Amino acid sequence: MSKQSELIVLTDVVLITVVVQRGVADHVVQVAVEAGAQGAAVFYAHGTGVRQKQLGILGLTVNTEKEIIYIVVPSEQADSMFERIFVSAKMDTPGMGILWMTRLDKMSTYVPHDVAARFGVHTERAAG
Amino acid sequence: MAERKLRYGVYLGAVQRHKRQISFAALLDAERLRPKRPPLRAIDLHRLLTPYVSVRFSEQLRAVVPLALMLIGFQALALRTSLLDADSVAFGILAVIIGLMCFMEGVKIGLMPLAENVGFQMPGKTNPAVLLSFSLLLGVAATFAEPAIGALQAAASAISPERSPWLRQLLGPYSHWLVLAIAGGVGLAVSIGMLRTMFGWKLKTMILLIMPLTLGLTAWCAQQPELASIIGLAWDCGAVTTGPVTVPLVLAVGVGVAASTGRSDNPLSGFGIVTLASVFPVLAVLSTAIYLTSQGSMLPIVPPAVGGWYNQTPFAEIIGALRAIVPLVLLLVLVQTRLLGEKIRQRDIFIYGISMAVAGMLLFNLGLTEGLVALGEQAGNNVPWAFSENRETGAPPLYPFALGIGLTLTFAFAIGFGATVAEPALNAMGMTVENLTDGAFRKRMLIHAVAAGVGVGAALGVARILFHLPVWMLLLGGYSIALALTVVSREEIVNLAWDSAGVTTGPVTVPLLLALGIGLGEVVGAAEGFGILAMCSVGPIISVLGTGLWIDMKTRGRKRRSKKA
Repeated sequence: MSKQSELIVLTDVVLITVVVQRGVADHVVQVAVEAGAQGAAVFYAHGTGVRQKQLGILGLTVNTEKEIIYIVVPSEQADSMFERIFVSAKMDTPGMGILWMTRLDKMSTYVPHDVAARFGVHTERAAG
Repeated sequence: MAERKLRYGVYLGAVQRHKRQISFAALLDAERLRPKRPPLRAIDLHRLLTPYVSVRFSEQLRAVVPLALMLIGFQALALRTSLLDADSVAFGILAVIIGLMCFMEGVKIGLMPLAENVGFQMPGKTNPAVLLSFSLLLGVAATFAEPAIGALQAAASAISPERSPWLRQLLGPYSHWLVLAIAGGVGLAVSIGMLRTMFGWKLKTMILLIMPLTLGLTAWCAQQPELASIIGLAWDCGAVTTGPVTVPLVLAVGVGVAASTGRSDNPLSGFGIVTLASVFPVLAVLSTAIYLTSQGSMLPIVPPAVGGWYNQTPFAEIIGALRAIVPLVLLLVLVQTRLLGEKIRQRDIFIYGISMAVAGMLLFNLGLTEGLVALGEQAGNNVPWAFSENRETGAPPLYPFALGIGLTLTFAFAIGFGATVAEPALNAMGMTVENLTDGAFRKRMLIHAVAAGVGVGAALGVARILFHLPVWMLLLGGYSIALALTVVSREEIVNLAWDSAGVTTGPVTVPLLLALGIGLGEVVGAAEGFGILAMCSVGPIISVLGTGLWIDMKTRGRKRRSKKA
């Protein structure tokens, strides 16, 4: 096997999914990145939650257009990240959104070769 | 010092927010027992309301403030005169901004869902005759609700009854006739627009049929001394009607009809109605004027009665706002409940939307005269000082004649251009167009073409007041060019160009330009100061058609070249 076709599987990762009103995602991502997240994916969606309906007329102020943020973090960071997002997205107000966290089986992406080499007996052996 | 060991994890746990695990199912069970509405702290209210209000407020702020600043700035810098009654104008403008904000939001959440539903359900549940008469009524009711209509009446007081008696009559004692004529014209346009959607008629053919008729009537009226002064007003009315109520409401119904008749695949199905709605009122107003003059009975101009509680400031405006909104609401509600047999969904939100619309209309009307009209009139009064003697003080003109005229026309162009670039409806249209033409017609290019057209139109409109040019010649010339370009253009571009004219004249631009024109007309001694809006509508038609043709030529040339190569 050549060095290029090696696939490194990363473990102990957690996916944090955040649903916020449209326009809030930038702020959340910024906070997450400051807290050590490597990046985030944001996509658009729309929908309403239970609090939005309970608010009555005030529910109109909650935008039904939503942004969904995916952030993948190592499980060590997950709890503090979860908390920071909760605070920065002001989730203690009804209608502001929801977030959850799921354990991931595995994840993989580009890993710089020299970094991989630091862990990699496998690479050395294949190359040699 | 005594040493104490503490696990880092325990420390962090103490510093961090306290976490507690509760089963979601248990939470749901607990929630079932308590009242539905969560208790709200002050901070919650702030977090909910502030973004909601500020987005909508700044939307209107962006539309109003640049224009107002331009008017004030021109007076301050070029004419060195400061604003009179600055505080009342500022309050008026603030009222206009807040009023527009509430009004638009109210229409959006109160009326739009209803209109969409009605438009979607009606073709299936009723016969075409009912649908057409509903369209007619909808057009009429929407016109009453249009905020800019009030600006026409506000303009009446500045018309001299001696020089253009019939114009004064139409805006004074016969103003109900005028509004009815405009509303009838729009109603007719909406039902013909529906027919067009149902049968897939081409807008190009319709324009080529209707426009020559309208232009012919205009030319004929221009030969009658009594009617000549009406022309400017009639064409301005066309521009006034296509505002923020009529356009989306009619489009909502139109899209529903298009979807249920199976023509929804055509992205242009929504277009065209706006064009018709700006041409038919012209015909209607001209015909009304012809009818009234042939009757020949002028009514005495009565100054508005002061007595009675219903003429006092807050009550008169409240009645006006209710009169504008209630017919529209009644029509939609009656159709929904009686004809379609459906209930109004989310009644509390519906009622909230309607009350917002009424409150917004009320504030807008309060601010209109104090703010926008006053500002426009002051500018109109002051601007001629740039090239002629000051009317009140007799001071010599500020600038040499040519420079002064040049400055004035540049100013008019800047207002037209600036007002158009900020128009949100145009932005939405630009995106549709970019998709339609596979990116050949860029959004920015459309916005600039329309804005330049409106700017040139405004400059021409001002020039015609200054130089006492007959408005019908300009209109005839402008629309002849537009018609000629229409013949050679593609159907898509024709739809686009003619509709862009209607999109540009919103509730802020209309009162400002009307007041500016009337102020100017008064100072230079013209018989009437209408027609700027009409010229602002021709301008973009020509500029967009021209740009469309140019783009077509360019892409065709590129294709030919690539074939050779």
